[in-house]
Amino acid sequence: MSSLTFTHEMFRKYYAEDFPLNTSVPFIEKREFGFALFENQMVRHKSFRSIEEVKFFLQSFVPCDVYFSCAYYENPTAEMERKNWLGADLIFDIDADHIPTPCERIHDRWVCGNCGFVGRGVMPERCPLCSGEKLSAETWPCEVCLEAAKIEAIKLLDVLQDDFGFSKSELRVFFSGHRGYHVHVECEAVKALDSMARKEIVDYVSGLGLETSLPHVKERSFKKRFPLETVKSFSFGWSRRLTDGLQTFLSSVKEDDLRKLGFRKDAVNVIMQRKDGILRDLYNSGMVHTVRGVGLKTWEKLVKHIATLQSVKIDTVVTTDVHRLIRMPETLNSKTGFKKADVQISAIDDFDPFRDAIAFRKGMVKVRVLDVPKFRIGDETFGPYRDRKVELPTAAALLLVCKGRAEVVENV
Amino acid sequence: MQTATIKFTKNDLAKYPFLKEAADYVKTLELKIEDLASPEFSQILERAKERVEEAILYTIVSRKLQNEEVEILSFPTATMLAAATENSFIKRRYALAEAKQTYNDLKFEPRAKILAIAENFQWKILTVNAEEAAAPYEFKLHFTNYLKNTTSLRERKWKLVNRPLTHGNVYLTKNETARLLSEEVRRHIEKRLEIKELPKLPQKITETAETLKSLTIEKIGKAEIEGIPKTVNKEAFPPCITALYEAASKGRHISHIARFTLTTFLVNIGMPTENIVDLFRASSDFNERLTRYQVEHIAGERGSRTRYKPPKCQTLQTHGVCTNPDTQCKEKTHHPLVYYRKRIRDLK
Repeated sequence: MSSLTFTHEMFRKYYAEDFPLNTSVPFIEKREFGFALFENQMVRHKSFRSIEEVKFFLQSFVPCDVYFSCAYYENPTAEMERKNWLGADLIFDIDADHIPTPCERIHDRWVCGNCGFVGRGVMPERCPLCSGEKLSAETWPCEVCLEAAKIEAIKLLDVLQDDFGFSKSELRVFFSGHRGYHVHVECEAVKALDSMARKEIVDYVSGLGLETSLPHVKERSFKKRFPLETVKSFSFGWSRRLTDGLQTFLSSVKEDDLRKLGFRKDAVNVIMQRKDGILRDLYNSGMVHTVRGVGLKTWEKLVKHIATLQSVKIDTVVTTDVHRLIRMPETLNSKTGFKKADVQISAIDDFDPFRDAIAFRKGMVKVRVLDVPKFRIGDETFGPYRDRKVELPTAAALLLVCKGRAEVVENV
Repeated sequence: MQTATIKFTKNDLAKYPFLKEAADYVKTLELKIEDLASPEFSQILERAKERVEEAILYTIVSRKLQNEEVEILSFPTATMLAAATENSFIKRRYALAEAKQTYNDLKFEPRAKILAIAENFQWKILTVNAEEAAAPYEFKLHFTNYLKNTTSLRERKWKLVNRPLTHGNVYLTKNETARLLSEEVRRHIEKRLEIKELPKLPQKITETAETLKSLTIEKIGKAEIEGIPKTVNKEAFPPCITALYEAASKGRHISHIARFTLTTFLVNIGMPTENIVDLFRASSDFNERLTRYQVEHIAGERGSRTRYKPPKCQTLQTHGVCTNPDTQCKEKTHHPLVYYRKRIRDLK
């Protein structure tokens, strides 16, 4: 059996036997559906009246990826200009690709399209061997990366609930089935927001354009202490995030961290010596004492750094696109064979993508693995493997085959 | 917390003739379009013409509250006049001028009246009590209403990220609330002027509209509108476009939005479709048929027949396409095409 036949067969089995009919798709009849087929084709502008109809389509045609529009249309099957847009959910996409993690050096590869050279970690601008610039990346859904993505999702949920006032029932969180999380906001208030309004929400969430400058120096010489302009007077929103962030950062700061930010040696010394006093002041009044040796510029740099730490790393293009097709919940991701799985907001800390998004729990499959780092499915750990034949549980084998790092074989 | 129970006086309706109550009042008079041309309404038509004239010349519409009746009725008449010109400059200008005057009046109104006018536009707005927020803030407005009325404002202070926001509400001073309400008024009037098909208008009205049009041509004729020269000048590209152009011609991977930006930019400065398709030829996933289709689509040669414009600088910043902004970028440039046009002029 070829790898493609294997994947196709597994997907067919899932849609015929396991795809849940209670998958919630609000206003299903107003959405456009799109499918990527195993034959490398994209089918768009489909529409369904019920989840049963969707299931029937899925088990008959067995697409490799399934999408629906965040938008609602009067005529979902018409061509783009004639669909008549009625509104759209607000969607956030958090992808490990947008978050720097220490492990990408270990598991990510890139290939030069010119000479075939394979490198690891962050893709350079040009191939070190032939100077070719046509490089393509191969990523890996690793635990560290996915944990980093989850932390971003948690930060985002905090912003959406506290600042934007959305209730838990208006928010839905999903593991994307590959390297990240999706957050869908489904409520009347956001539907009509245009792309520009959504852009402002993106900027808010990611802290772009946040005013981090501090009051004028003159004021300082009078008062000997100054408020952090954006921090003062509010115990919510970005004010709170900056104060909280400063406290967390300062309470565990090492000299090295400060030096990495480019602070001068004397400034580093002063901050390290007096950080308890600074923290106490911050905590009591949201004010910062002026300290000899630490100038306004240094403070501004510090606040900027905190803002970066507190910002949420999202894919900006997804949120601003009011016609976006997004992966449908409970369908399989062809990059992994995992499900786009529902995440309970109150239990997000305990969500484990390598356990909760697994679609196949039975059977063993023999594969020849090309190259793969150590990975886990449920409670079992596998690998690392390199150029080896092994027998693996279906979900593990499917993951490797989908990522193009293994092939199905007859015998081990 | 406080909700509006205020009833608008006739004087209020004269000052704020766009209110629903004003429209209701006009309706009770059961006027027809033809009536406007009759002599007994000459005062109204005269005042309506004056409203639009003031807008064109000074971008303001002063209030004449001695004759409330005329003031109220001249507003829908002026709207019709502006629509009858079928000139987008006049329409935009008129909406802006009415909004400006509204701001000047609103600033000095008591809280309750501001609240009542805001609720007329279905704003989700509440007054703020002293314990809730520090002194300058008097109102809190739902962020959806806030965003609808700030996305065209360019000052940094209006960016949502720089506003106190909690539980879905943005805190505002009275002055700021008045400013956003006037923006709502501008959008409201612009929308009323968007009529696709005009009803049959009396000759007197169409004549007046013609007069207003010639006044406008005289006025904006002064501000020379310079077109973009036909030949493409790469030296005048803004830094973001230079970087994208480089990347594309070397076949380096560039994101979807970056491709869109580059293509729309090149289309708009008059680069032929053929040359743009060629530019992407070096890319490893180049597909001639698809690229040609996309470029032609963006150029308005297919599909919806609209020629797309590149995104504004602000949008490019959000998506990380803005790179190495130079001094010209920072000095009042808000759009890559504006940069290009200005640079071309400077290079001459």
